[in-house]
Parts: sequence; structure tokens; C-alpha cells
Amino acid sequence: MIRSVLLLALLASPTAAQDWVVRADTVYTASGDPIDGGFVKVSDGKITGVGSGRGGGGDVLECAAVTPGLIDLSVRIDTGSFSVEQSEETPIELNVADAIDLFSYRWDRELKSGVTTVLANPNDRAVLGGLGVVLKTGGGPSLDARLVKDDAVLRASLGSAPASGNRAPRGSRPSSFYFRRPTTRMGTEWVFRKAFYDTIAASKDAERRTGETDVLARVLSGELPIAVQGWATQDVRTACYLKEEFGIPRMFVDAAAEAWKEPDLLVRSGAAVVLPPFRFEGQTGVDGAFMAYNTAALLQEKGVTIALSGHGTSDVGMRLNKQPGYAMRGGLSFDAALAAVTINPARMVGVDNRVGSLEEGKDADLVLWNGKPFEPSSSVIGVLLDGELVLDPRPNDDE
Amino acid sequence: MIAHILTAFALFGVADDKIVVEAGRIITQSGPDIVDGVIVIEDGRITEIGPADDVDKPWDAPVIGGPDYTAMPGFVEAHTSRGLDRPNESLDVAPFLDVRDSIDPVAFYFEDCLRWGITTVNVQQGNNCIIGARGMIVRPVGLTVEEMMVRPQHGLKLSASPKSGKSRSTQAQGMRRAFDELRRYLEDLVQQKKDGDDFARREALHQGRDLEGEKAEGREMGGTAWKVDGLDMVPRGEIDEKQEPLLELIEGRYNAYFYCSSPMDVPRALEIARDNGFLAKTTLVLHERCWKAADLIAEAGVPVVLDGDQMHIERDPLTGKEIETFVPGVFKDKGIRFALSSDNTDTHSLWFQASLAIGFGLDAKTAMDAVTQTPAEILGLGKEVGSLEEGKLGNVVLFSGDPMSITSWVEHVVIEGEEVYDRSKDVRNTHLLEGTKPPGSTSAEDAEEAAKKEADDEDDED
Repeated sequence: MIRSVLLLALLASPTAAQDWVVRADTVYTASGDPIDGGFVKVSDGKITGVGSGRGGGGDVLECAAVTPGLIDLSVRIDTGSFSVEQSEETPIELNVADAIDLFSYRWDRELKSGVTTVLANPNDRAVLGGLGVVLKTGGGPSLDARLVKDDAVLRASLGSAPASGNRAPRGSRPSSFYFRRPTTRMGTEWVFRKAFYDTIAASKDAERRTGETDVLARVLSGELPIAVQGWATQDVRTACYLKEEFGIPRMFVDAAAEAWKEPDLLVRSGAAVVLPPFRFEGQTGVDGAFMAYNTAALLQEKGVTIALSGHGTSDVGMRLNKQPGYAMRGGLSFDAALAAVTINPARMVGVDNRVGSLEEGKDADLVLWNGKPFEPSSSVIGVLLDGELVLDPRPNDDE
Repeated sequence: MIAHILTAFALFGVADDKIVVEAGRIITQSGPDIVDGVIVIEDGRITEIGPADDVDKPWDAPVIGGPDYTAMPGFVEAHTSRGLDRPNESLDVAPFLDVRDSIDPVAFYFEDCLRWGITTVNVQQGNNCIIGARGMIVRPVGLTVEEMMVRPQHGLKLSASPKSGKSRSTQAQGMRRAFDELRRYLEDLVQQKKDGDDFARREALHQGRDLEGEKAEGREMGGTAWKVDGLDMVPRGEIDEKQEPLLELIEGRYNAYFYCSSPMDVPRALEIARDNGFLAKTTLVLHERCWKAADLIAEAGVPVVLDGDQMHIERDPLTGKEIETFVPGVFKDKGIRFALSSDNTDTHSLWFQASLAIGFGLDAKTAMDAVTQTPAEILGLGKEVGSLEEGKLGNVVLFSGDPMSITSWVEHVVIEGEEVYDRSKDVRNTHLLEGTKPPGSTSAEDAEEAAKKEADDEDDED
């Protein structure tokens, strides 16, 4: 508690923020060519300079490589036990911000492994599950301190997850009488479609307007992106067809393991893709979906915007900071792999004005590496979050 | 599927007695790297290795590799139960069993071994036992266990962690009782001999056991721990086969692979090994949390195989924060010899384990030794495998680039001078990399159209 108060005090007073000069053998900006022998200057929590040479005017941190803080759009942050809304299939107006446990140890896990910004979403057990928020992974344990963007996306889910929701989330017996969720893929799609038809009807008849149709109207106007989870081919297809049917301007398909089977459909519909973590065996274990190694490379080549995700794993070999490496094993270029964990996800949820690349004026979220980023033989050795040093790369750090 | 396996893996049937492996860089593990090197393998062993200019290549030997490849010694899996049909036996104490009867030569695991460059595998019974079966060292090629065999009857599996359904106390009691029973059995046997009782001999004859040659002779009990006097009176063939493996463990014939799932199991394992005189032949197979017993392990001087994850994660009870401990780093600091194992992830890959360890701060030499030379020494094969030297077995892996990089692939594997894996012919690898497009999907139709167009274009050219 004392610590939280201290942290809050620190955040409340920007004058406490330190000036840093991060020098790296290579600076990967994610907004242009990498800079050999460059620096990133940080003042008052913002990036104030990026260039070649040694820079100056602050405490010096040195490392082999520096990249922007990583961004995970599929992070599975803990929302506690009572996380499945049973009252309806489309709790569209609910906001996950009300349920997030900011005291969870998992934030630290993400932060120290280089993930500085995440999209926290309602879970995937409702067809239209509510609104997600974009947060920083560190800072004081209050929403104000961490919020990057409120109402960032509307969460949707296809496939077996919402259809399996007519069971209690924990334990085997129903814990409530509100069991009227769809139990098939047909039902899931119908619920999705009906919600949007209602919205279209409401646009012509003011009496039919509700809070929920207002949210969906923002999705239809392109103000609010929609994140549709779909692991298997048929769910990726359904997402694309729904996007085309309703002319939804901004959609990304989350956990789209089998997107490699339908790249052209994705291109045609204009949907972006968030890929689940790589598996050496290819099998994801969800909905029978198989993700080929070259999925990211293939989608990139076809022109689909991709982001990678760590999906909240505790396995140190499978976290987001290793995922671009696996995508590179499948043929993705380094630059595209870097973009897929930085600027691409930032754009997908509309926070690229603040994070996602190393450019002057952006938030000072930096990841420091001891070797070529994303290789298994490299590690994240330092992290700056809003200019605050949260993982110290300097040796003999009080150990 | 069998046809695919045969295309990709069946080359070992037509062995040449010579092969030349060329590589832009040879990582020998035992000495400095060789730039633009050549390895000559004859009759399964390396006869020459060195820079291209210094090595006489036999004119009639086939050549694989080239300047773009990096050569490594084949990786050595120090301990696994994965090639077994079923890894565990329901009997608590069953050292008379042999994994040889349970190894499945067409298990996917062995195919994966080649895909990842593992050329020597120590197969032991699973950890769910008190005293398990005798293990076996194999190479992951061959359609029969005999073809795969490198060392039969290698090692005995023991577990200090409770077999399912047991408490730690019953587990400890079970271990002690096994050796107590052995002692009582041997004492009875000697007494029977002294009494002129011929029961053991008649039983051996009835069971058709070997009583000729060495087995007709009696021998003093070997080993350093405890002894039963007068065992020289009993011909070895008369000793019950169910008891013999434990006696031979005490006498030093077998390596012991002792599993511990918790640091609290480590002192028990060391005690059993010490009391029965096989500590010097003991290797601990450890879950990652066992790093907490590192001081005890260092004091006992036994090597370890890391069966769990490299990073041990626990929650601080006061702050609730996660504490990460890099386990191989602890072992290195304490001077404990350790082998990494691929059992701990779904990668099946020792190459990846070594690379990950480097990322966490282990020096490259120790990390790469932990998947080559160290496991070779643990298995008693230090003179045969684990490094590329003249006289050692010709087990070579050719990588497309730096073996520790995520973008490198195992392109060729040579085991004892025979090329047993070629990535360009590996159908499953292609499936993992590119997937198999389902018929009817737009992408599959595109591919068909493209293929058709290409064929048409070729027709036009004609």
C-alpha cells in the first residue's frame, strides 16, 4: 500500500521524471530504417530525440538494441472469478475497465518482458462482449494512471467460446438461470447479425435506439474498431463475411490461427489480423485450429495488416518478446516482425499517436535488449515506461 | 504417411562406408571452430576433420553440405520417456523390466529428433515409479529397436517423488524396502547354499535361465556400500532375475537416473544412492524448482538433467510479485554439471533450449555443451559422441545458418556416416511450415489456378 502511494506520488509530479539517454548498437525505431550506433533521448516521460551518435543530456543506459515498447492486443489480463457475464449474449455496453484487477501480478510479468501497452478486452464468452480499453502495463494501480484509450474496441467472439458459455465458468453445474446463449456457430452468428440489424433499424427509427445500438452505430461508422475472435478457418471466414455484409470499416480478427487458409478473403474484406502465439507443433488446441509457421509471412506478403500476441502466457519462451522470432522462422522479415508487435497493433486500436514507434513526442516506452531482438538467444534487459526505468539494464542492480 | 516417412528417412538402408561433410563453419565443441572445414567419416567414425586445405578427401566418397552450412555435433538427449509406447509401469518396483520392450521405433518423437538434430537419445521409463525399468540409449533411426540400439540395458530409473497415489513417506519406505528385500534375499540365498538346499538352482533350471559360463560362477558381492558375505558360493545364474538388476546397480553396472520433483526429494535421493553405494553413478533428473537444493547437489558432486523449465517462477508471499530464477545459471554458479533436456517444452529441440539459455545469460560454450558434451559424458559416451573429433562417431548436424538463431533450420543429419535426414524431403516439415491447404478454399483454388497457368505457359513455350 505504501508503495502504491509512493508510485502515485511519483506519477502525480512529472518533475520527478528523470532524463535518460539510451545508447544502443542498433536503434530499431519501427518508423524508419534502423539506426546503427544511435541514441534515444527521454525527458519528462516523452521521447525528445532519436538519432545516430551518442546523444547527451541525461543518465546513460547502454545496450545492444533498443526497440519501442511492445504492444499486445490479446493479452488475457486477469479480471477475476466473476468474469463471465451471464445476463445476456450481447452485453455491449459493459466496459472491461470496471472489472480489471490492476493489482494482479500479471501486469509486472508483461511489463518486465517488454510489453508496455495492452488492449484489455472482456473475455470471449459472449458474442458481443463489451468494450475494451488500452492500458499501460505499469504505473500507479489506478485506471487514470494507466489509461491510454477508453472505449478502444468492441469485443466480439465467434467459434466455440461463446457457444460454450451456457455453462458456469467455473465448476460443472450451471450457477444461474440465465442460460439463453447460442449453443451453435449458427446461433452465434445469428446473435451477431441481429444486433447489427437492430442498429440499422434504430438508425431509421429513433424509438428503437438503445445504448447498445448507439455503440454498434459507432462500430458501423468506423469510430470504434471491432475485435472479433475467430481461431478456425470457418470463424475467420464468418468474420470477413460479417464485415462485408454490414460494411464495418474497422475490424481485426483476433487469434486468427487459420488465417493462412483465407488470406485473399481477408484482403478483400480489409480485416486486419492478430495472431495467437506460435506453436512448434502447429496445433493451437482451440477449435482444432492449426497455425502454419509461415502464417505471418504469408499474410504480410498478401497485404494483410498483422499483429502478434503473447496471449498472457507464463512460458518465458512463448511471450510476446519471442513471438516475432517465430514469425521470422516462418519467413517474415525482421522489419515486418517488429512492426507486428509495435506500430501495427498501435494503429489497429488507434493509439499510434502516443505509442508504437520511437519518434519525438511519443511516450517514452522503450525496450532494451542484450542482443538482436526476438532471438531466443537474446533477452529483454531493460524497460522504460513513460520515461520511468522499470527494469534496470545496468549490472549489479542491488543483487 | 508411412510412405512419406520412408522417403524422408529411409536413406540409412543404403549406407555408404564413406561420406564427406563440408561446412563454412564447423563447431567442434571440443576445440576451436573451423572455418571452411571438412569432416571425413569412414565406417561410421570421423577419420579426419580440419580446414578444407588440410584434409585429404577420399575421391570416391559422396559429399554433402557446402560453404553456406554450419556443422555441429549431433545433439544428445540426456533423458526422455517420450519414445515409449507407455512411459510408466503400474508395478512400484520393477527393475527387471526393460524399455526395449516398450520403445516404439515409429513414434513421432524419434522422427522429430532428426528434424531437430538430436542423434543420441537416452530412453528411460517415466517418472511415475519407485524403481523403474532398465533404460536404453538409442539413435533415432531404424524400424526396429535393434537397429536403433546404441547401448542396451543402460541405466535404471528411480524416483524420489511420490508415485501417483503415494505419499512421500510411502515412497521413501518403498525405496528403502526394495534394497532391504534384496539384502534379505541374498542372505537367504547364501544360507540355503550353506544348508545344501538346491532350491534356487532347481528354480533357475525350471525357468530355463542361463547357467553356463560366467553365469555358472559365483562372485563376491561388488560395490562399496554394504555386502552380503558368501555370495561367491552362489552361481550368478541362480540369482532371481527380479532381484539381479538392483544387485547390479549396487555393484556399479548401471547408471541411476533419479527423478526429483521437489527440492525436498533431493536429500532422499542422495541418501538412497549413498547408502547403497551408487552415488558415483547417479544423475539427478530435476524439476526446475529443485534449484533450491543446489548446495546439496554440488556437495554430492552428481550431475543433473534439467527436466523442467529453465526459468523457475514463483510468487513472493509478501508482495505477490513473481520471482524468476534462471535454473541453469544457478547450477553453473554452484559448479554442478548439467544437461538441458527437451522434455520441458513442446519444441523437442535441444538447439532451442541452448539458445534460450544463452538469452537468459548463460555463456554460449556452457549452453551448447549442455546439449552435446555434458549429456554425452553423463551417458558414459564421452568418447563416442558430443563433439566432432577424429575417432568419434560420425554424428553431424548441418544447419542453414547460426545454430543458435531462430531463423536457422536443420538441413541435414548424418548419424554414423549415414545421411538420415534431408529437410528438402521432409513432408511433415513442409506441412508445419506452410500448412496443407484444404481443397475448396480460395487459397487452394488460387494455388491450383497458378499451377495450371504455369503448366499452360510451359505448353506455350513448347
